[in-house]
Amino acid sequence: MSDAVLDKQVKKQKTRRSKVDPEIGVSLSWKTLKIQKQLIFMSVPIAIYLIIFNYVPVWGWIMAFQNYRPALSFGQQEWVGFQQFKFLFSDETFMLVLRNTVAMSFINLVLGTVTAIGLALLLNEIRAKFFKRIVQSISYLPHFLSWVIAAGIVATSLSIDDGIVNVILMKLHLIKEPIMWLSEGKYFWGIVGASNVWKEVGWGTIIYLAAITSIDPSLYEAASIDGATRLQKMRFVTLPGIKATFVILLIMNIGHILDAGFELQYLLGNGLTIDYSQTIDIFVIKYGISMGNYSLATAAGIFKTIVSVVLVFMANYTAKRLGEERLI
Amino acid sequence: MHKTAKRSAKAAAAGVLALTLALTGCGSGNNSSNTGSKDNTSGGNASPAAAGDDNAPVTFSVFMSGPGQQPTPDNKILKLMKDKTGVSFNMEFLVGDLQQKLGVMIAGGDYPDIMSGDDKLINAKAYIPLEDLIEKYAPNLKKHYADVWNQIKDESDGHIYVLPSYGVYQGKITEPTYQGPGFWLQKKVLEEMGYPTPKTLDEYFDIIAKYKEKHPDVIGFESLNFDWRVFPLQNAPEHLSGHPNDGAVVVDNNVAQIFADKDMAKDYYKKLNEINAQGLMDKEAFVQNYDQYLAKIASGKVVGMFDQHWNFQDGETSLISQGKIEDTYIGFPLLYPGAEEWYRDRGAVGTNRGFGISINAKDPERIIKFWDQMITEEWQKTIQWGVKGEDYEVNADGSFYRTPEQRANADKTSWQVANKITGMHGYMPKIQGTYSDGNAADPGTQPQEFFDSLKPYDQKILKAYNKKSWSEFFKEPKENYIYFPAYSIVLKDGSPAQLAQSKLNDLQVKFLPKAIMASPAEFEGVWQDYVDKIHKLDIKAYEDRMNEGIQQRIEKWSVK
Repeated sequence: MSDAVLDKQVKKQKTRRSKVDPEIGVSLSWKTLKIQKQLIFMSVPIAIYLIIFNYVPVWGWIMAFQNYRPALSFGQQEWVGFQQFKFLFSDETFMLVLRNTVAMSFINLVLGTVTAIGLALLLNEIRAKFFKRIVQSISYLPHFLSWVIAAGIVATSLSIDDGIVNVILMKLHLIKEPIMWLSEGKYFWGIVGASNVWKEVGWGTIIYLAAITSIDPSLYEAASIDGATRLQKMRFVTLPGIKATFVILLIMNIGHILDAGFELQYLLGNGLTIDYSQTIDIFVIKYGISMGNYSLATAAGIFKTIVSVVLVFMANYTAKRLGEERLI
Repeated sequence: MHKTAKRSAKAAAAGVLALTLALTGCGSGNNSSNTGSKDNTSGGNASPAAAGDDNAPVTFSVFMSGPGQQPTPDNKILKLMKDKTGVSFNMEFLVGDLQQKLGVMIAGGDYPDIMSGDDKLINAKAYIPLEDLIEKYAPNLKKHYADVWNQIKDESDGHIYVLPSYGVYQGKITEPTYQGPGFWLQKKVLEEMGYPTPKTLDEYFDIIAKYKEKHPDVIGFESLNFDWRVFPLQNAPEHLSGHPNDGAVVVDNNVAQIFADKDMAKDYYKKLNEINAQGLMDKEAFVQNYDQYLAKIASGKVVGMFDQHWNFQDGETSLISQGKIEDTYIGFPLLYPGAEEWYRDRGAVGTNRGFGISINAKDPERIIKFWDQMITEEWQKTIQWGVKGEDYEVNADGSFYRTPEQRANADKTSWQVANKITGMHGYMPKIQGTYSDGNAADPGTQPQEFFDSLKPYDQKILKAYNKKSWSEFFKEPKENYIYFPAYSIVLKDGSPAQLAQSKLNDLQVKFLPKAIMASPAEFEGVWQDYVDKIHKLDIKAYEDRMNEGIQQRIEKWSVK
């Protein structure tokens, strides 16, 4: 194919594109499909994957309105309407676990974001590359531990029998007697929040550090020329620079507000703290799946999904009204 | 949750038992008694014309639902089996996650000839019914299972799919190593206190208090309230009041009721509340997980606890490997005044533990005939004890024993994989108790052999108590009631009974630690709160289901 021919084709494309309504972006026609066939071809497996794993299972939501029994065929299932939902919302335990889930999730969200941004800001100021890398590695390594191991470490550190936390507090003379951290409900949310920070802070920092590196260096230079101090540069250049990232991540995380987690609460919780430690996921395991009551588990799942979708749209709408970056 | 808990408990118990068997050894070879046995059985079961075909070489694939070690290719027992019956095996032990493996097997319908029992596989209709095959080809098996014939049938359709491996006893039950529940005390504590035998809670805690006074660093009384392992905290009252382990209920005159809210429970937890105030209870007992619990026991600092032996045995094993044998434990059956002891029980038949034949099996007849031969006493002795003169000796009065070298051999893993089939044997139908000649089923349960294989320190302790085994601290188990154990009665998924049971368990998990850790003045208040909350639950639904199950079992399981 000669260059001339190629040029001609490109030109042809351009003219066709110019007819496209700029608001819609791309008009779907067989021709465009043909031109972008590689792209379409590549996205087909992903679309199939999404349909199979994310859309087909929605069919299972029907279970929530049945008294589902695994061995029976679809026609034989007993329909019960909203009975499962009624049970959920009339059960006092469910209200308790809802409170715990939202509370722990909120704590995780706020603490997680604040510490990640804080660490990113501090790391950004470090000029010694070697030291920076070491700090980063150490802070994100716990992310790769499973919660089973992490919870074991947490439980051991909080033990009254030579647990590091109690030892330090005793040495500092802040407390006289070792405190049994895991025996009091009032400490539980804090422990979960702190454990999450310890495990995830380094990982959360990575994305903010990436956002910071994309800030135009000339802004810093200009600020220096204007006589800005280090703190002022952080306050007026870095923070606004990562605002877009922050808002997008916030919107995405708000969608997960009912996913406070399962493993940590399950592994650290005990009879004494059960009123503060049980989350929706634990409730679903206990009263749904392990009792073979799949309908109840599904109803709780639907509830979670609907709340998440509503929250994401609300956050997105708010961001739009405030003139911020948004997700959708 | 409770139901699975108990079942896993039994599973673990079975595993431990298998381990005991493994450690105590068996082997094989060629000797006259084995040859004799083979001839007898084949003569009895097969028509002479078919005898030639019966020994044609055949290989069966076997799947076992637990991890295990492959026997060596030239394994002594497998070789013997092949020589005498023509049967050899292609064994597959579980690697990775069982549920996942079963899911794949079921989805593909890809079953080996022989599979260990599992509810999931039963529900997937992966086994063939065995009762007709047994009637036709397996007189020895028929005899072996005669007493439990109705019990081993599947509850839903009345077929027998799995031949239980454990829980079918004959002769006398000799069980030197006690695995069940008890109030345990460290051997060194007993030694220092002059070998006392506590019979009541007061005497028991008195020993702990006195010992802790002299050694303030130790942990007096330990407990566990974690995940499904809640029985160390919840089950003591039923034993103290003279009931066997029926789970969350006690059964009197075939009527079950929960005991959590009764005085038998209150008295026990009130006592724990008192000893907590005295500083004898481990403060961390109710916040620790299972690993921390085991670690505490392995540290040798725990004086005593209530638990089932198999549940803390890993901790004890660690103590032994650290050479701290004096820190290991002896169990005592404490009782309330006037109660009659029932700590030891004759383990129930594990209805879904053992082997079944899959729908893909090439020759089910041949498999059942093989198992039928294996259940004869001669083969059982070969499998469980080994070969006479090689793996064990017989003294003048006919009882089996091992020389120190034979014992040392049996402890070695390398020797085991070449001379025993521990892994597969764990799932095969087997004789437990004693043979008709009075010898125990395996070296681990032969009283004299057991005593002789103990460490000198243990022998000294036992001599001081004038006993020969650990289980002698407990009374011989009574005959099981036909419905025993009540905890294995299936609660329908999602039923009010199941919901009530789960909520009751939640309350216990939450309130028992609260009551124990409250100051003695507050105990009554917390207890009243707890009992009130229990009475708000639909306990009646749970008790009704248990009683219904008991009546059904009495009707269906009785062999008339």
